[in-house]
This record gives sequence, C-alpha cells and structure tokens, in this order.
Amino acid sequence: MITVNLPNPIGEEHWGLWIALYFFLAGTTGGAYLLSVLFYGKDQGLVRRSALWAFLGVVVGAGLLVIDLGQPLRFLNLLLNGLYPASVMWLGSWFLVLAGAGLLWVYLGPTSRGVQQGVAVLVALVVGYTAVLLMQTAKPFWNASPLLPWLFLASAATAGGALLQLWYPHEKLSRLVTVSALVEGAVLALHLIWTYPAATPGVLALLVGPLAWAFWGFVVVGWGLPLFLERRNVALAALLTLVGAFLLRYFVVMAGQV
Amino acid sequence: MPNPKDYAILFDASRCIGCKACQVACKQWNDLEAEKTKNRGSYANPPKLTAHTWITMRYYEGLKPEGDPYFDFIRGSCMHCTHAPCVSACPTGAMAHREGGVVTVDEKTCIGCRSCVQACPYEAVHFDEAKGVVHKCTMCYDRISHGDQPACVKACPADALTFGTYQEIRAMAEERVRALKERGYARANVYGLAELGGTHVLYVLTEHPSQYDLPKAVREAEKRAATGWLSAGIAAAVLGAGLKFIVERREALKGGGQ
Repeated sequence: MITVNLPNPIGEEHWGLWIALYFFLAGTTGGAYLLSVLFYGKDQGLVRRSALWAFLGVVVGAGLLVIDLGQPLRFLNLLLNGLYPASVMWLGSWFLVLAGAGLLWVYLGPTSRGVQQGVAVLVALVVGYTAVLLMQTAKPFWNASPLLPWLFLASAATAGGALLQLWYPHEKLSRLVTVSALVEGAVLALHLIWTYPAATPGVLALLVGPLAWAFWGFVVVGWGLPLFLERRNVALAALLTLVGAFLLRYFVVMAGQV
Repeated sequence: MPNPKDYAILFDASRCIGCKACQVACKQWNDLEAEKTKNRGSYANPPKLTAHTWITMRYYEGLKPEGDPYFDFIRGSCMHCTHAPCVSACPTGAMAHREGGVVTVDEKTCIGCRSCVQACPYEAVHFDEAKGVVHKCTMCYDRISHGDQPACVKACPADALTFGTYQEIRAMAEERVRALKERGYARANVYGLAELGGTHVLYVLTEHPSQYDLPKAVREAEKRAATGWLSAGIAAAVLGAGLKFIVERREALKGGGQ
C-alpha cells in the first residue's frame, strides 16, 4: 500500500487520500458526462469529449483504488472470485468496469442517444455507489443520515458542470452549476445537523477540529467564492469549484473515521 | 438466530476479574506480537484492538449516582455475528462464516480493501499494513475444530468465559441473568441475542449495554446498503429531473421573452 497523508491529525484512517481522490475524479468526470448527456445531447462533440474525460477519470480512479489495496496484485479477486451483491464494494467494482467500457464505446464511435443514455445510467451508478459504500459501514457520520448520496450526486453535478465550463462556457451551465451548488450546500448543512447527535466527534472535527481547514476551505473557497464569481470570472469560479469538490470528498471520507 | 449446534462463547461480566489472562493466552496461541503502548491512566491496555491484538479487556470505573464505586470489565473482540456486517461488506468472499457459525478471514483471498474494517460495529477487524490483509479473532478455529476450547476460554481463571454449543451457552446466559436479578442486579441482561441476527458470543451484563460502550440496535449491513441504494435512486431521479426542469424552464421562459 502506498500511503500519502495530507495534514490530517485524526491519525487512524483506513480509507484516506487515494480514496478521496478517486471519489473526486469519478464524481467530477462522471458528473460532466451525465450533464452533457442530460443537457447537451444534441452536441455530439461535447458528449464524446466528456465521455473521454469520464473514461480517463474511471481508469485513473480505478488505478488509485488498486494501489490503495493491501494486496494490489490480487485486485482481480474483486471481479473473479464469485458473486457478492451484498457488498457495495463488489457492485462498485463491476460498475466501474462496465461504465469504463461504455464510456470508451461512446468516445470511440458514433453511438445512438439510447446507448449514451444507457452508459449514463452506469456512470450514475459509479457516482452514486461511492456514497452507498460509505453508508454500508458502521460509521455514524456516513450512515446516520440517508443524505450522503444526495451530497455526492449534487457535488458531482456542480463539479461536473464546472469541468464542462472550463472548455465550454455557456450560460445554461452557469445556471446549472449555481443551482446544484445551492442544493449541495443545503444538503451538506442538513447532513451535518442530522448526523450531529450520532457522530458528534466527526461533525466537531469538521467545524472546529483537525478537519476544519478542509471543511471551511470548501465552504469559503470551493463553494461561496465560486457562487460569487460565477457572473464575473467563470474560469476562476470553475477552478475553485473543482478544488472545493476535492475538499468535500476528502473531509467526508476523513470525518467518518474520526 | 444462530444454529443451536453452532460454536458459542459466553462472557460473564459479573464474574470477570479483569486479569487479562485471556489477552495473554490469545497472543500466545495465535503467535501475535506484543505492541508498545502508552499509559493512558487506565488499566485497559492495549486501549484498542489491532491487527495483533484480537481480544482486549476494557475497564470502566467511577462512582454511581448513589455514590457507590463501580469497576466493570467488558470483553472487546469479534462477536461472530450471524448477519455479520464484515461478511456482507467483503467483495471477495475472504471474510466468511465457517462451519459452526464462526467468522474468519482467508488471508490468501483477502485483498486488503478494508471494507470489513469499516463495517464492523465492534471495531474487531483490523488491517495489517505489513501483510496487506486484515486479521481478527478466529474463535481459535484451529483449536475448536479439533474439540478443544478457545485459548481465551481455557485461560480464564474466574469462569467468566465458557465455550459450548449455542444452545447450551444461551441457556446458561439466561439462567445466570435470572440468578443475578434475584441477587439484586435489576438491570442484568444478556447482550447479543438480538444484535445482527444473534451473535455467537453472548455477554451477561449487570448494567445496560451502553454502560460498556456496546452498540445497541445495530443495523445490518444489507439494510444500510438498501437504504443507501434507495436514497441514491431517489436522489438521482430528483436531482436529474429537478435540474432539467429548473434550468430548461428558465431557458424556455427567457426564449419566450426575447
């Protein structure tokens, strides 16, 4: 296992930086593909380009997952050792493989809208299963509220929209990013309130403890500032939103293990 | 509910003297290395289970509201749950029930993904960085499958640990609670009958489980995942349709106005 730690005095995490980075890559690039299919289906150039990005996100993300394993060379056990549909990790591995293959297909050849939408369902499963994976654990910050999938999907829409904005600044995208960022903020606040009684140490670590840098960094730099900059400097707003999306995944992953 | 003929252990907190003979016996039989620990002002040592410490006694001391001192001991280790969250979460089948309801990990199949570590509500599964796989209590499967007792049970000098079939152990536990209640322990109870489909380790307690930091009303991993999938499905539908509605309706309104 290759371990790299960001400033994180909580100490004993079992899932750390690689997992957060994978959540961020899959969520952001997957979100961009979902938005392009949902809102720009007529623009095949954009759909195929975002399929390439999402394919790379899935491949690089899966690579991060493999190097994070204690026995990376045994990663094929995930796929070939039998059927374990009760395990979200097992389902997620298959979603990654299938979505990766589908995205490559969409990128390489002209495909029908139906195929692109079918692949979008697989991509949505990749984006969504990460939250369910956390909810299956015994950690109250992750499972005391059912809102984690909402948070991850809203964040994927915000960050995916920001990624599209970088090469395709479009007014509709600005509205999309703004609306989904507002939803994301509301869901995050609700999640913290909901989980506070069961996961007090985790919530406090975010608000005033060792993870406050990531939490408030997200709130101020990765969420508030982009909302303010959306109409003034779209590229900067998009970049900050992407930073925020990473910080969000990182502090969610860490706060569950405080 | 475990099979009546399954293997089971009874831990009787009203008989435990906190001598840690079980901890030492576990280390010796399973050839687990000693770990450096710090004095944290408690007799509990090591403070937590690790990949090399599969059983540890936790100590609770203080004054009751009436002013009487208490000094309680509780066994911390794998409970060998019937609906074990670690088994549900395992994507490779490495963590599985063996004959007799015992949960063990196959170190040759384990990929070190730590899903089980996150899933266990008793923090009984731990990751061995050096070997890249997880370890936990095996109920001394190598002993019990040859007709012997687990090492911890054999070493207990106070009859606080007993090994037998689930049927015998459960009857003993219930009989013991009856006797304790007669002797004035009004809150005496058996822990592990309802938790996670019934655990193969039962505890006789003189106080409410929360007094010993034992989780009550633990949700099974399958149910947690089901809640997650349901929430993710609703989130995807609502966010997708909602964004589409909000963003494109505004577009249509604007188009009409121009």
